[in-house]
Amino acid sequence: MDDETDRGRDDDAPVDPDVADGPTERLDPQPVHVPEHTAEHAAQHVRARRPYDVYGVGTDPDYRFSMANERTALAWIRTGLSLVAGGVALTSFATFANLSGVLDVVAGLACLGGASLALWSLVAWRRNERAMRLGEPLPSPTSLPVLVVGVIGFGLGLCVYAFFEAF
Amino acid sequence: MVERDSGAQPERTALAWQRTVLSVTIGSLVLAATGVRMDTHWIAVVAVGIAAAAFLPFVFRAPQGGVPSHGRLHGWWFLVRMVVLVATLGFVGAAAVVASILRG
Repeated sequence: MDDETDRGRDDDAPVDPDVADGPTERLDPQPVHVPEHTAEHAAQHVRARRPYDVYGVGTDPDYRFSMANERTALAWIRTGLSLVAGGVALTSFATFANLSGVLDVVAGLACLGGASLALWSLVAWRRNERAMRLGEPLPSPTSLPVLVVGVIGFGLGLCVYAFFEAF
Repeated sequence: MVERDSGAQPERTALAWQRTVLSVTIGSLVLAATGVRMDTHWIAVVAVGIAAAAFLPFVFRAPQGGVPSHGRLHGWWFLVRMVVLVATLGFVGAAAVVASILRG
């Protein structure tokens, strides 16, 4: 009977809960304290993120974009690695078959080009991540034209070499 | 540990890491074989070292793609390590070429 009358009173006066919430919030400070602590904790982790000149600016983009940026850098590393592997394979074949020193020069250039491409991938990752954090348009992929021209040059050079070796 | 995502982005990132680590390992083993074949043993030793440095840490703690809300991102240091290994491989490969030229 008492419960029913209480409910009836609450329904009649919807202002009551607001009045009741005020004192409980003031009496119990713990729910305020805990989020403050976790926020401080998170802030410490965020400050620990390196490189600082990337994570120190702007705001976190959608994490999927950061992951896509990471995968892009990895793809560039693999591209550089395949150039290195091609150069090493060429040297290997040159020693097997006693081919001329021209191939050795080509192989050395491929190795050095692959190493520079891998190093450049770090620069590109930084620039892209910074641009995403600052909401700026992404910088153009500067190593792409260099790679295309280089691979075409290697291909044509080896074609010419093979032609003169055959005839 | 990694949040679910309809585009399977964490999984794709982890797979990209696996491809990269396996490629670095196999590439350095190819260089090691070349070094053995050329009788230039320091090249073989360095190449096997690169293979181990790429593969062993990956077995113990695989990079899985960093989610910024996790606070700590190791992705950058994994990237730096991979780049250093690939660049070293390139320079050692170039050194192998020079050694091959000098040998005639």
